Amino acid sequence: MTLRRKLLLVALSTLALPFAGWLYVRQMEQLLRRSQEQALLATAFALGRGLVAVGANLPTPAKGWYVQNARQPIIVDGYGDDWAALSPWVQHPWPGVRVQLAQDAAWLYLHIEVNDATRTRVDAQDSESQDADHVELTLARGAQQRHFLIASAAPGSFQARPLDDRVRGLPDLITGQWQEDAGAYRIELRLPRAQAPDRLGIAVYDADAPARFNGGEPNMRPLYSLAPALSNDLTQLAPTGVRVRLLSSEGWVLASGGALLADSPAGNDRMAWFDKLVFDALIAPALQARSSTPMDAPQLQDADAKRALAGRASAVWRAGEAPGSVVLSVAVPLDTHGETRGALVLDQSSRALPLLTNRALLGLMLASVAGLLIAGALLFAFATWLSLRIGRLRDAAERAQHREGAPLAALPLVEDSDELGDLARSFSRLLDAIGTYTDYLRTLASKLSHELNTPLAIVKSSLDNLEHADLPPDAQPYVARARDGAARLGTIVRAMSEASRMERAIASAEGEDFDLAQVVRGCAEAYRALAAPRRLECVLDAAHSPLHGAPELIAQALDKLFDNALSFTPAEGWIRIELRELDEDEGAQLIVANSGPPLPEAMSGRLFDSLVSVRGSGARVGVPHLGLGLYVVRLVAELHQGKVEAQNLADGVAFTMRLRGMVRRRLVE
Amino acid sequence: MARAIAIVEDEPLIRANYVEALSRFGYEVRGYPSRGEASSAFAQRMPELVIIDIGLSDEPEGGFDLCRELRAKSSTLPIIFLTARDSDFDVISGLRLGADDYLSKDTSLHQLAARIGALFRRIESLKTPVSAETVIEHGPLKLESERMRISWNGHDVPLTVTEFWMVHTLVRFPGHVKSRDQLMREAELVVDDATITSHIKRIRKKFIAVDPAFDSIETVHGVGYRWTT
Repeated sequence: MTLRRKLLLVALSTLALPFAGWLYVRQMEQLLRRSQEQALLATAFALGRGLVAVGANLPTPAKGWYVQNARQPIIVDGYGDDWAALSPWVQHPWPGVRVQLAQDAAWLYLHIEVNDATRTRVDAQDSESQDADHVELTLARGAQQRHFLIASAAPGSFQARPLDDRVRGLPDLITGQWQEDAGAYRIELRLPRAQAPDRLGIAVYDADAPARFNGGEPNMRPLYSLAPALSNDLTQLAPTGVRVRLLSSEGWVLASGGALLADSPAGNDRMAWFDKLVFDALIAPALQARSSTPMDAPQLQDADAKRALAGRASAVWRAGEAPGSVVLSVAVPLDTHGETRGALVLDQSSRALPLLTNRALLGLMLASVAGLLIAGALLFAFATWLSLRIGRLRDAAERAQHREGAPLAALPLVEDSDELGDLARSFSRLLDAIGTYTDYLRTLASKLSHELNTPLAIVKSSLDNLEHADLPPDAQPYVARARDGAARLGTIVRAMSEASRMERAIASAEGEDFDLAQVVRGCAEAYRALAAPRRLECVLDAAHSPLHGAPELIAQALDKLFDNALSFTPAEGWIRIELRELDEDEGAQLIVANSGPPLPEAMSGRLFDSLVSVRGSGARVGVPHLGLGLYVVRLVAELHQGKVEAQNLADGVAFTMRLRGMVRRRLVE
Repeated sequence: MARAIAIVEDEPLIRANYVEALSRFGYEVRGYPSRGEASSAFAQRMPELVIIDIGLSDEPEGGFDLCRELRAKSSTLPIIFLTARDSDFDVISGLRLGADDYLSKDTSLHQLAARIGALFRRIESLKTPVSAETVIEHGPLKLESERMRISWNGHDVPLTVTEFWMVHTLVRFPGHVKSRDQLMREAELVVDDATITSHIKRIRKKFIAVDPAFDSIETVHGVGYRWTT
């Protein structure tokens, strides 16, 4: 993994920034909600106390019949079709009895359905009607009451039988429709609003099971309905944008005032993707499902409403009608004189909240993205710069490693003041030290040979003098041995200085035009005697191979190669000297191949360096091997603008010298 | 009367060895450790032959300076350089300054004595008439072995003793290839191939200085050299 990629990865850590922002915005949003809840709760309590204070007509804790507002005209026909819209809020005084009440501007409608599969049919006017299946209505207004018995022997219209005298203000006569099927009978009737009672009692008697339906005892309850006067009060008391509903102890809506803030213009219904994203991710999880009851439902059965009716205040966030809107719903109990008589439910639409969150998040996100991009770009640029510099340093170091004795070029970055500069300076010092050391090694042999010459001369001249001294005969062999040793030492010393002498000879070499083929042929002939008993092949591409160069030096290089080949070729092996003409300007290729052990791979690149030898110890006793031979070959090849390579063959080793000829010097002299 | 030889050599052991050895050959030998001492001694009495080491204790090139000094005093005084150095550059510098020969310290005392003898013989023979037996003539080449003198087209070619012997070896059997080993043996040199090569080069140059068309020493690559006519 490159430095650049690593730094980019590190740059990803700035992603923590938007995350932290996200958390912060969430917290802030929750805080806002809490405070809004508190505010609305406070409003609700204040409103409740206000209602009590103004002495509004508050509901009693007792159960009552709730009269819904008719949503469509109701025809009194004994069938429940036109009650369908109201049926979700049907009231069950006893199991098996369904009571619905509705009103429109003129009439109060009543619809009773009684499950009874075993009918005892008589008409209301019949004397036995009290013992047959019947329904008894008790209408009460103020202190006055009137009872009516409803029964019918057959489906169709009926007339209720009043059980007591007529009372002023209450209807004289009640007519309606009776319908029945196998399992139930239904009664539908209407009363004029003017004569409507304020309390209603319903008693149902089943002749087959007199104990059923509480033994036919009437169930007297007050009539409740959405009260316009109370609604007006609430509207006036309610703060703007807040809808207030007053609930009876059963959750019936007795008054409703105020209105939610009008929804935003139609075009805004579709949220922008970002708003939606924020809403879904941030706000929606905190919301309860949209209330299942419609806004205009006559009864609230939500958990919060029930909690309020049980005496505990609560606040709930719901998704609003419009997408993206949020409704805060607060329910508080309405207490007077220590008893809970109902509850107040306040709804506040909160479009502002998501907007605020959105805006904060959008800003945060934009800032984070911008920060991220800038940080990433900066880091990338920085990493690029760093890796460029490191790359330059590395290239320079590589070049320095392969400079082959050329003077050390200044490393880049050595002027820089940072760590890379330090590194470059360290490199520079290291390379200088290596260079010095290499130079020292390179010249060590010749320096050493120079220094050794003098003591060697002392030994030799002393030995020469010794010959003229009167030595006993048995001392003569020792002198001879000493002379032999000195001579061998002399050979070694000369070999040691050979490289530097060759370097000087090469430096002062003068090019001439000559025939390379002839030189090779001559040399090969001369080697033939030396090579025996090894086979020596000489393969010449062309009869003539003109070259501009120093034939003596090439012959000398060939000597070295041959000497090298000879020392590695077993007695039964072969040596091949080959001269190949290459294309125009490519010069010629001089190959010396021999059978023998392959070269070690590790050394192949350095074989032609000075003082490098791959010979095992004791290759040839008496002849020093300092690894200079192939170095000389390289120098000669380079003088002729060529190069020299060694490669392993299937059954031996080949040294290839490519020669292009020396640069022609202009004759200065 | 014994001939007087001066040895200027900073290494006392070598100096002592040479002095003793040459004394044994019948010369009157004096050794000097430095250029200053040698100069002052030479001011009083000029020796007949001087052997100089190039590097003299604190003067790396002291031998060359001394050679220049002596050559200024006498153009005929034989001067031999004897040195541990063996680079071609040194050889050329020494010979340009007018040294008569140049020997490495590898050279044995016998060879040194032979060189000295040859140089004296050459000086001696210059004073006597040429005897016909010792003259070899090959076309434009005239070689007087007694005098160790070679002339080309009548012009003297100023060769050192070493070079003379090498040419002599080649000319004795014209057309025969002489290997470097043989040349070395004949010239009583103990040097390596490269030095032989540079000797041959110098000899060619000296002939070419006399006659630009000179082309008689031929290189036989891988083998050696031969004289062609």
